[in-house]
Amino acid sequence: MATKKLTLTILSFLILQDLLETFTHFCFKKSALVDGSFSLTDPSHIANFLKDALFTPYLWLGFLSVAVIFVIWSTVLSKIDLSVAVPVCSFSYITVPLISMIYLHEKISLVRWIGIALILCGIIFVSASSEEKKENPA
Amino acid sequence: MKLLIFALLFLTNIFDTARELVIKSAVNSLKTSPTNLKEVFSFIMRLMKVPQLWLGLLFSILALILWLLVLTKADLNYAFSLDSMHYIFTAIVAQKFLKEKIGWNRWCGIILITIGIAVVSLS
Repeated sequence: MATKKLTLTILSFLILQDLLETFTHFCFKKSALVDGSFSLTDPSHIANFLKDALFTPYLWLGFLSVAVIFVIWSTVLSKIDLSVAVPVCSFSYITVPLISMIYLHEKISLVRWIGIALILCGIIFVSASSEEKKENPA
Repeated sequence: MKLLIFALLFLTNIFDTARELVIKSAVNSLKTSPTNLKEVFSFIMRLMKVPQLWLGLLFSILALILWLLVLTKADLNYAFSLDSMHYIFTAIVAQKFLKEKIGWNRWCGIILITIGIAVVSLS
């Protein structure tokens, strides 16, 4: 088994995977918007909704993105722990607000900055915990 | 309605965690790690033959259907804030079933991330 350290290459793949994940969510949300007026508890409405959603290109773009994510994700998982890979993927909670601030000129509230700082600290803690393993391999 | 959405989101989290667990165990069962693009291709081909992977796909489909249903009714921010629970679930199953060693600093990091996501999503 290869080293379990979180390297810069693995980190950049995780970020790429994360950005694709954001894109996937966007696609799925778009495809879900085709029919927002159905009843959640009525099975025939659910079937109708799924049929409508299947005919939007966004759903298929979303699936394509999922396939790429799968290849990146399984390769990354063969190199690091699940309990490192999953938390580090929370990067999109930082990148999405920052991108909306820079490109969409959205204002980020103080509370949101605090949240972003907490996530960043968390990612640093988790990344540091993967480095320790390399120093004394069990 | 609010309670139903919460229950669906919770179930989505459970399926997501289960998917991550079985996919990681499928990857672990190969005991190798690709280093270039050619190896990645054969790695994925071999991975396709592991039964757990398809169980993971099944969980993905279930989670996706639930997620699509939730998104039509719930606010994306609310949905994402509850989604943060899944970081803690994943750490618990990774420790219990995959025997990953999670030290105090990794737990701290995971908890900070979970709180941070809830704060970001609800602000």
